[in-house]
Amino acid sequence: MAPLVTFYFQVHQPYRLRDLRISDIGQGEPDYFDAEKNRAIFRKVAEKCYLPANRLMLELVQQYPEFQIAYSLSGVFLDQCREYGEDVLESFRQLAHTGKVEFLAETYYHSLSSLKSVEEFALQVRKHVQTIQELFGQTPQVFRNTELIYRNELAHIARLMGFRGIIAEGADHLLRGRSPNDLFVPPQFRLPRSIETAVRKIRPLSRRAQDIHILLKNYRLSDDVAFRFSDKSWVGFPLHADTFTDWLTGSGGHTVNLFMDYETFGEHQWADTGIFDFLRALPRVWQERGIKAATPSQTIEAWEHEHTHEYDVHSFISWADSERDLSAWQGNRIQSAAIDAVYALERQVKETGNPLLLDIWRRLQTSDHFYYMSTKYWSDGDVHKYFSPYDSPYEAYRRYSHALCDLKQRVAAAADATEERTAVSSQPSARLKVSRLQKQHLHKPAADHSKLKASPRKS
Amino acid sequence: MFGWEYPPKHLGGLGVACQGLVRGLLKNGVRVTLVLPHSNAQPEENMHVVFPTDEMRESVLVPSLLNPYDDEWTYEQRILTHSLPKEESSLYGHDLGQAVEQFTALSVEMTKNIHADVVHCHDWMTYEAGIRAAKHHDKPLVTHIHATEFDRTDFHPNEWIAGKERRGLQMADRIVAVSAYTKNLLVSHYGISVGKITVLHNGHDQPHDMVKPAILSQHGKKRHPLILFLGRMTVQKNPLQFLEVAKRVRVFMPDVEFVMAGDGPMLPFLIDRACEMGLQDNVIFTGKVHGRDVRALYQAADCFVMPSLSEPFGLVALEAIAHDTPVIVSKQSGVAEVLDHAFKVDYWDTDKMADCIITILREEPLSAQLKAEAPRILRRLSWKNQAHKLRSIYTDLIHHSTR
Repeated sequence: MAPLVTFYFQVHQPYRLRDLRISDIGQGEPDYFDAEKNRAIFRKVAEKCYLPANRLMLELVQQYPEFQIAYSLSGVFLDQCREYGEDVLESFRQLAHTGKVEFLAETYYHSLSSLKSVEEFALQVRKHVQTIQELFGQTPQVFRNTELIYRNELAHIARLMGFRGIIAEGADHLLRGRSPNDLFVPPQFRLPRSIETAVRKIRPLSRRAQDIHILLKNYRLSDDVAFRFSDKSWVGFPLHADTFTDWLTGSGGHTVNLFMDYETFGEHQWADTGIFDFLRALPRVWQERGIKAATPSQTIEAWEHEHTHEYDVHSFISWADSERDLSAWQGNRIQSAAIDAVYALERQVKETGNPLLLDIWRRLQTSDHFYYMSTKYWSDGDVHKYFSPYDSPYEAYRRYSHALCDLKQRVAAAADATEERTAVSSQPSARLKVSRLQKQHLHKPAADHSKLKASPRKS
Repeated sequence: MFGWEYPPKHLGGLGVACQGLVRGLLKNGVRVTLVLPHSNAQPEENMHVVFPTDEMRESVLVPSLLNPYDDEWTYEQRILTHSLPKEESSLYGHDLGQAVEQFTALSVEMTKNIHADVVHCHDWMTYEAGIRAAKHHDKPLVTHIHATEFDRTDFHPNEWIAGKERRGLQMADRIVAVSAYTKNLLVSHYGISVGKITVLHNGHDQPHDMVKPAILSQHGKKRHPLILFLGRMTVQKNPLQFLEVAKRVRVFMPDVEFVMAGDGPMLPFLIDRACEMGLQDNVIFTGKVHGRDVRALYQAADCFVMPSLSEPFGLVALEAIAHDTPVIVSKQSGVAEVLDHAFKVDYWDTDKMADCIITILREEPLSAQLKAEAPRILRRLSWKNQAHKLRSIYTDLIHHSTR
C-alpha cells in the first residue's frame, strides 16, 4: 500500500528592528521595528511566493480530490498580513474555504517561550488558536512549536493544551535506524504539578487530549525540495515529480512527512528554477499512482489504531542548522543574554496591564531576533548570514539591546503610573491617558516585518 | 626582497608586516635577502630563540634618509633639521625624487651578486629598485602593496608618487595586495587587471612575552571607561572623527576617557580642536608610544576604534584584538574583511560609531563575547600561514614564468 504524504508549510515573517540609537531611548515612544523594511520584504515575498503559491495551491486542491495540505501561519505573519497584505490574507481564506486545508497551532509570536515560561507559552498558543478560529473558522488540532523545538515534556504540555498531534524533526540519533515515516508517540509520564496547573488555567482548547501523536519530518525528502532542488551539483538535479514520487514510495512506512518553509516556493527557490512546475506536477503523478496527500489530522486519524513507536527525546531538538538543537538561538553569550533579558521582564510587563507594552514585549520574543545574533560562522553561519537583515550578529544585538533598554524604561514608567493610580482612588484621567495611548498605537503601523526564518539546513 | 623599514626602527604597519612576512617565509623554508634603506636597523636584536631565523638570512643595508611616509615637504623639513654629517646629507640630496633614484641605484648595485629566484618589493619607494633588480637578474617581480597614495591623501594623490606606484604595478609579474579593499582600489584607480592581483591579508603573531595587566590604572581604583585611538595623526587615520565621536559619546556617558596615542603632523591641530570642542577633560594625547606602553594602553582600553578614511589593512585592529580589546573598525578598511567579531562602521558615521561604543560599554555580555571570540582570527592569520600562501605564489611564478 502506498504511503500517505503529509505536506505542511511554515509561513512566518518577523518584525525586524530598525537602526535604533541611544538617543531614541527614553524619548517618548520610539517604534522599535523597521516598518519600511518589513513592508518591503513582506511585499517582495508576497509577490514571489505567497500569492503565486497560494493561487497554485488553490487550483491543485480544487482539481485533485486526494490532495490536501496544511499550513502553520505565525501570528506575527498574520499581523503583517493585516498591515501589508490583505490580499495575502484573502488568498489564505480562500484556501481555508475549500475545506481541504488544515491550519496548525503555534506560538503567536513565533517565540521561544516554551523554553522560558509555561504560562507565557500557553498564553501565546491560546492567542494563536483564537486568531485562527476568527480568521479561518477552524480550530487547530495539531501543534507545531517554533522551529520544531521539541522534547518529551512539550508533547505532554501540548496534549494538556488539547492537541492530538504535534510536529517534530525526525532526527537520526533519536530514530536510531527507524523510519520517520511511522507514527510515533511520546513516552508516558506525568508532568510536574506546577506545569499541569499552569496549562490547565490557560488551556487553548476546550479539553485535554487523551493521547498525542508525533509526526516526524522526513528531513531527507523535505530537504531535497526545500534546499537541494536547484543545486546543480546535487546528484538528483534536475528533480522531476516522477523521480521524487519514486523516492517517496520507496521510502516506505505509513506517511511521508514533508515539512518545509513555504518560502521554498518562489523565494528560496526562485520561479525560474522550475519549482512551481514541480509542485504543479506532484498531485497529478500522485493521483496516477494512488498516493493520497493528507493533512496532519487526517494522517493521525488514519493510523491512530495502528502500531505506534516511541520517540524518546530528553534534550531539545529543532529543525535548525545541522546541529538540529537550540544552538541557532542560544549558541553564544549575546544570544543567551538577550533571551534572559527579555524574559526577565515578564512579571513587570504583565503587571502594567498595558496591551501595547505587552504586544511590543512579545514581538521582541520572536526567535528570529536571536537567530540573527548567531555567530556560528564556521558551519551554518553562512545560512544565518543569508537570512539576516543586519550587517552582523553584533548589529543585531546592538539594536535589540537598545529596544530592551527603552522597553524597560517604559515598563518602569507605566508601573509608576499604576502606583499613582491606585494611590488616588478614582483615576479617570489616568485611564483616559492609557486608552489614548493605545489608540495612537493602533493608528500607526506598529512595526514592520520581514521574513527570514531559521531555516534548517540539511546535512 | 626590498623593504624600507624594519623593526625596531619603523613608523607604521609596513615595518611590522615586512618583519612578519620575512619571519614567516623563513619558517616556510624560503631564504630571504632583505635590502633596507636605513643604516642602523638591527632586526636581529628583535629575534628571539623562537625565531631561529637569521642563519638563513643576510641583510644588506643601504643607508638612506627615506621615511616611508614622506611626502616632499616633510622630507625637506627633516633633512633641514636633521643633524647629519654633511657628506651623508649631500649624498642623498634635498630632493625626494633624487633620493629615491640614489637609493634605487645603490640597492641594485648591492644585490648584483645575489642569486634570487624571485624579486619582491614593498610599496612605491622600492618599486624602481625591484624593477631594475628583476630585469638585471631576469627573475619574476612581485610588487607588494601595503598602502597606496590614494589611501594616504584622502584620494588627492601626489601624481609623481602615484606614477611610481603605477609603474611598479604595471611592471610586476604578480601583485600582492593586503586586502580585497586594496585590490579593488588598484583596479579602479590604477587600471590594473584583476587577474594579476592576489589578495594576501596581513597576519599577526602573538608576542611571546605578553604581559597581562601591568598598569591598569594611574588614578585610583575606579577607572573610567577608556576608548583608544592608536595611529599616526594624519588625514588617512581620521583622528578628527575620533574627537567627534568622543563628543557624541560624552553626551550620554560623561565619564568616558578617550586616549589618542600617536604622533603626526595633525597633532597640534587636534589638540587645539579638542580644546575648542570642550573635550580637554575627556581626551588625553600621549604622543608617540612604544613597546610596553602600547600594550598597557591596549589592555586598559574598553574599546579600540580605528576610524580610518581609507585603510588598506589596519594591523592595529589585530593588535588590539590580541590584547582582548573589543574593536570598532572603519568599513573602508582591509581588516574589516577578516573580522567576524567586531563592529564595522562607515568612517564618516559619527553617530553610529558613538552608538557602538556606548553599547559595548553598557552591555557586558557583548563586550565579553567580542573579547572571547575575536582572537580566533589570529590563529588563522598567523604570519607563518600567510607566508605559506606567499611561498605558493613564488613557486607558481618560478614554474610558470614566461621569462
